This record gives sequence, structure tokens and C-alpha cells, in this order.
Amino acid sequence: MPSKSLERNLSFLETGRVANGRVLRLVRSGPERRALESGQVDAVLDAATGTAFLLPGARRALSSAGSRIANSLLAALPREDYLHLLAELEAVALTFRGVLYEPGEPIRHVYFPNDGQVSQLMVMAARKTLEVGLTGHEGMVGVSLAQGVELSPVRAVVQESGSALRMGAVSFLEALERCLPLRYELSRYAYAQLSQARQIAACTRFHHVEARLACRLLRAHDSVRADEFHLTHEFLAEMLGIRRVGITNAASALQRRKLISYSRGNIRILDRKGLRAAACECYEVVRKLARVPLLMSNAVPAQTPDQSAPAASITAGVLLPA
Amino acid sequence: MHLKKKAKSRRSGAAATTGVVMRLYVAGSAPNSIKAIANLEAICQQHLQDGFELEVIDVLEFPLRALADGVVVTPSLAKISPSPAVRIVGNLSDRSNVLRALGIGA
Repeated sequence: MPSKSLERNLSFLETGRVANGRVLRLVRSGPERRALESGQVDAVLDAATGTAFLLPGARRALSSAGSRIANSLLAALPREDYLHLLAELEAVALTFRGVLYEPGEPIRHVYFPNDGQVSQLMVMAARKTLEVGLTGHEGMVGVSLAQGVELSPVRAVVQESGSALRMGAVSFLEALERCLPLRYELSRYAYAQLSQARQIAACTRFHHVEARLACRLLRAHDSVRADEFHLTHEFLAEMLGIRRVGITNAASALQRRKLISYSRGNIRILDRKGLRAAACECYEVVRKLARVPLLMSNAVPAQTPDQSAPAASITAGVLLPA
Repeated sequence: MHLKKKAKSRRSGAAATTGVVMRLYVAGSAPNSIKAIANLEAICQQHLQDGFELEVIDVLEFPLRALADGVVVTPSLAKISPSPAVRIVGNLSDRSNVLRALGIGA
């Protein structure tokens, strides 16, 4: 065991937690120490035991990398690509009513929700709004950045609290350049989002409020993956582009039919089958859109590393061909 | 790359033996290790197309190998040849520093 003074000098390392109470022998200066202090070290080797000990951050990252990937878009990527992205992703909380983007403002981060929901609202004059998109664990917030537009066309508001992995805009654009499977997944998702907006446009014009509300609640139910969630009348009115009283009437009608229970913004789905029957056709249409394969899916296997290639160039496994 | 299975060697170009020979010590797919690999890949692709040899060693699988090579923390990059031998510690995000250490004009 090192001396107490050395232990104190290494306090920045949180050595007690590094190795279950065991303090490791480390150099006290030089590049190793500078790398430690700048958070660029994952593991420390202990000559006494011949073992590598992970630092807390690395241990957390490795344990989360081994667990199920909550975001479907990230989960669809080849593992190699996902691990590359993971290095640039940071975990953040999505707080109810938190605004991620305002219309016309630069997109500084993209968000891959693990759970919770983010609503994309068109903001019209006189502060009137209409929801034109909804993103949960199946997608990414900030898709327009993937299409080369750095300003957000919509207001993105957290509508159901949760967590997400986010990535800075610069890192995201770099990742997009080198990762074909990510581009493919985002093209597919952008298509689904565009189609969703088209469907909402027609739905808003032709369908009754009660059917639209049922549709919206089903989509919230799918995304949140829980029977009970929080949606106030006010927020629903903003999403559907109608007055609060319209939401109150429609929610009361659904409640009378014992499809939902609604109290102070807490919605519980009582009869999902019945709610589907009450919803307009748009729910099924939008749901199917998310699974539409694109023609470019044929290009994806070319990105998969060729493990059998002998003495392959390091570029063969990960980077795109020029 | 599949670092967990075993240490792997990667060569590029026919004249690999006359190129830069490096060893990168990483801790599985921990964040800084992934960054170091990605940063080194970019440098190799851009500056070392004429030939390089890179061995990636996962210290979680081969700690004794790393200790025998004098590695204390990961990620660490060791340039074996051409001399002088150089070691760089960290995720290799300081590109100019890495290029200088590898003897490549920034």
C-alpha cells in the first residue's frame, strides 16, 4: 500500500472507489497524471496484482454498453457503430415541459430518448401551436440536422419526462459522415416523421376531436410504454391546435365510454382495444410508417466489418470508403 | 474491431515493415478507449496510408502484457518504430501532439 501522502496526492483519482478500497500505485507526475486529471483515462494497471482496474466513469459506461439499448434507433445500429457513438453521447434528463429547441434557433444537440416523449410543435402567429411530430424511444430529436439544416423548424418540448442520450451537433455531423447505418436509420426515421406530419395535416382538417385525441393518447401510450402518463388539457390543446374546452369534452366522452380515466392531467388507459376503435385511421397509418424499409437498406451490409479479411486495413472495419 | 477477444494486429500497405509500428493499449470499449481508436483511425487514414502496423491490446484481457510493456494507464499509444520510441497517454484527441509524437508533420 502506498503512503498516506501519496494517497492524498491521488485524491483526484477517487482511488478508493477504483479498486474496491485498494489504492493503486501510480506515477505522481508526467503524462499519465495529466491524462488522469483531464478525464482521458479509462483504466489503471496495478503491477502488484497484475490487474487492470476501471475508473468509475469507464465502469459505468461499460456496464451500460452491455445492457439493453433503450433507444430503438441506436439499437438498430451494428454494435461497432453504436460503441463509436457511445463515446460521444452523454446521458441527460428530459424534464416535463423543458424546451429543447425554439423555431429558428440553432440545433446544438440531437437527442436519442430512452424513454419519455418530445413533442415537435409548429408555432404560428398569436402563439397558436399544432403538434406536427412526436418522438419517443423509437427516434431522434433534431432530425433536420441530419438533413443539413442547422436551424430548428419547430419548437421541441418534453411532453413526458424521461432520459435521453444526447450528442453535440459537430460530433453528430462527423458521426453521420462516417457511419452509413446511422444515415440509413435517420433517413428512414426522417421519412416516418415527414409522413407523420402529412398525416397530421389531413387528420387535423378531416377528423373529429374525439378520434384525434384517442389517436394521440394511443401514440403516447406506445411511446411511454406505461399505462399511466401525464398530459394536461392545456398541453393536449396545444398539440391538437384546439381550445381547452374541446379537449375537456373529448376526454370526458372517452372517459364515459370507460376507455380512459382522466384526473388532473394523469391519464390511464383502461381499454386499449376500445381506444383503438375510437381513434381515427391515422394511428394505424403512422404506426406502420415507422417500419417502412428504404431501398438503401441494401447498402448497409457493406458497412459491416469483414472479420474474415486477413491483415485488413484498419479503415476496412470502421470507416467508410472514400 | 473486436478488442475483447484478443490483441489484434492490423497492417496497411505493402511496406508495413518500413512504416510506423504502434501499439495501442485500451480498456475494452470504455469511452476514452473508443475515442482513442477513432482518433487514431482518422490519423492513420489521413497521414499513414503508405504503411503502418498497429496492434490494439485490450488490457482487460491482457493486463500482464501491458504491464510488461510498462503501461500504467489506458488508453496509451506506444510508437515502437521508427525510433525514437514514444508513448502518448490519453484519448489522442490532441491531434497535433499525436502527429508530432509519431514524427509526422502537422
